[in-house]
Amino acid sequence: MPNWFKLTKAVLLAGGLMTTVAHAEETVTWWDFFGGGDGVRMKQMVADFNEAHKGEIKIDATTLEWGTPFYSKVQTSTAVGEGPDIMTYHASRIPLAVKQGILQEITADDWKTMGLGQSDYAPATWEAVSIDGKQYAVPLDTHPIVLYYNKDLLKKAGVLGDDGKPKGMDSRENFTATLKALKAAGVKFPLGSVTADGNFMFRTVYSFMGQQDGELMTDGEFLAGDSAKKLENSLAVLSEWTKEGLQSTYTDYPATVALFTSGEAAMMINGVWEVPTMTDLKKNGKLFEWGAVELPVIFNHPSTYADSHTFALPANKGKDMSPEKRAAVLEVMSWMSKNSLFWATAGHIPAYGPVTNSAEYKAMEPNHTYSSLTANMIFDPKTPLAGIAGPIFDVMSNFFVPTLNGEMEPAKAVEEIKTGLADL
Amino acid sequence: MMLRNRRNEALFALALIAPFVAIYGLVFVYPTIRLFMISLTDAPLIGDGNFVGFDNYARLPSDRRFGTAVWNTAYFVLITVVPGTLVAFAIALGVNRLAGRLQAAILALFFLPYILPVSVVYLLWDWTLNFQFGIAMYLFDMLGIARIPVFKSTAWFMPAVGIITIWWTAGFSILLFLAGLRTIPTEIYEAAALDNAGRWSTFRRITWPLMWPITALVLTIQLISQLKIFDQVYLFSVGGRPNDNVVLVYYVFQRAFQSDQGGRAAAVAVVLFVIVIVVSVLNFQLTRLSGGRDR
Repeated sequence: MPNWFKLTKAVLLAGGLMTTVAHAEETVTWWDFFGGGDGVRMKQMVADFNEAHKGEIKIDATTLEWGTPFYSKVQTSTAVGEGPDIMTYHASRIPLAVKQGILQEITADDWKTMGLGQSDYAPATWEAVSIDGKQYAVPLDTHPIVLYYNKDLLKKAGVLGDDGKPKGMDSRENFTATLKALKAAGVKFPLGSVTADGNFMFRTVYSFMGQQDGELMTDGEFLAGDSAKKLENSLAVLSEWTKEGLQSTYTDYPATVALFTSGEAAMMINGVWEVPTMTDLKKNGKLFEWGAVELPVIFNHPSTYADSHTFALPANKGKDMSPEKRAAVLEVMSWMSKNSLFWATAGHIPAYGPVTNSAEYKAMEPNHTYSSLTANMIFDPKTPLAGIAGPIFDVMSNFFVPTLNGEMEPAKAVEEIKTGLADL
Repeated sequence: MMLRNRRNEALFALALIAPFVAIYGLVFVYPTIRLFMISLTDAPLIGDGNFVGFDNYARLPSDRRFGTAVWNTAYFVLITVVPGTLVAFAIALGVNRLAGRLQAAILALFFLPYILPVSVVYLLWDWTLNFQFGIAMYLFDMLGIARIPVFKSTAWFMPAVGIITIWWTAGFSILLFLAGLRTIPTEIYEAAALDNAGRWSTFRRITWPLMWPITALVLTIQLISQLKIFDQVYLFSVGGRPNDNVVLVYYVFQRAFQSDQGGRAAAVAVVLFVIVIVVSVLNFQLTRLSGGRDR
């Protein structure tokens, strides 16, 4: 053990000496939470950045566990000045972070230095990183959920349209009919759903609420007016599919992806971040013909839940960022945004307008097929209680698992959720 | 001469223990006092809050999730402490009858899970009992039993985590019991054999009473560590039904890290602290008393 210590120390010292002697290379400590197919893409981007800034800036990247562990670590490390120089952050978590004072503002001068500005982003995305007219993060992407489907199975069951998209995407009855046709054609699970993970299902349920213009929070009140009823309707659709054996039960996230890629499930509602998984499998000849489209319209109009991955700068307590470090960090955010066309291969929709408006982006598949949904995206309500791994997320998801697997009636679940939210 | 020696000795003793007392004060006493002070405020996770008196405590009785946490913790202690101790004792008795390499090998097998980190234990069992792909489920299918979503149903969750915890931690208790069994002089057993004592009465009259101090120790250690259960419950309920499976430490974590309510989290931590002290003192006194009567 002591030997290791000495050795590491020596290596660190030597490394430190070399860099200070050779050039004034600025090392930027970076934390992200991209553990899936998109993580591979992000590592590539970091490597490309380092290559392009050799001798000037070096990103020292660490990937941490997504969700609660990531945000717990960020909160505590920032409080004692041990946070990274830059980190990825969900836009939905920004209200809480600002309340806690753990993020640095991105000032007007910073935006100018980066060569970025409000006009480069969709209004909803810009709004998502702004609190009281100040910005606290630089948006990298928006990442909605989509419907993945197995073209071979759909064709076999006669529910693949001439446009190559599933039939029955326009109403509850028609979509259920599509699922039933798949079942009749011998598909084990017409829809692979993450029914063992309420955290995940929050996205689907919230999208269906959005299709009825339901709101989680209205002027600080939870599930005001008929929003509770709309939540119940959303849960009812999903539990109906369970009762009729149309979707997989008690399936956790990895199992859902496995059910779909193995052909046991014909369709799957999942985040766009699984696009690289499909692309890579297909490239290696291990996957059927597949596609991804916007969620079906089960209620009144199209609507899809989305969140945004952003870059944020932790306000490390008692540790001021040197001007050189800040310049380096701004360069990182600027470069990543301007080169985010590659990030689109991770399935995400880049936030930087000039990229999404480019001809190259428009030619990308399957991004092009589902890009229509950007017009109907809804984000989390803007409150410190919302966001990934936040209290609302936590209370609601707890009752999704029993409801979606037929143990609890939707009405009862809504009642429990209201009690739970009032308890916050 | 005598006096001076004593004084020297006291000084020497103080010098030796001073660093430890200082560290104890810094990392235990001071945080404990701070914890109590924070529990009287409405502090967020980071930073200070306003003094609110005993408000945080007053709202606990009507807090449903706190009630669930207390019940689940008690339930978990109930299904792990005594059964876990008995299982370890039984295994130790068995291992003690073996000899040489075989004994070492069997002991190693039982001790192996204990060295695994909790995340490995979690992955192992999560894979085994996965509703779609778990090996156990294929076994269920073969036997014609309906599959059970073990970690997603509240009825199965605690018993499953309890059994896994016993499997995981029994190794350490087995070692303690073995050490105890080896201190019993063989002469006593020889004398008992000469008196024609049967296996059961030997156990009942010799092994059990002589092992009582060790049993009391294991029970106390188990009790304290199981009251503080967190890791397994947290890992196994991620994404599923965390609020139905919540235990006290998990509840502290939820309040502090998810709801950003440091004050309320601290109040629950103080309650848990008091419960641990009361229960372990009670347990120690009870086991000591009943042990004394047996002898």
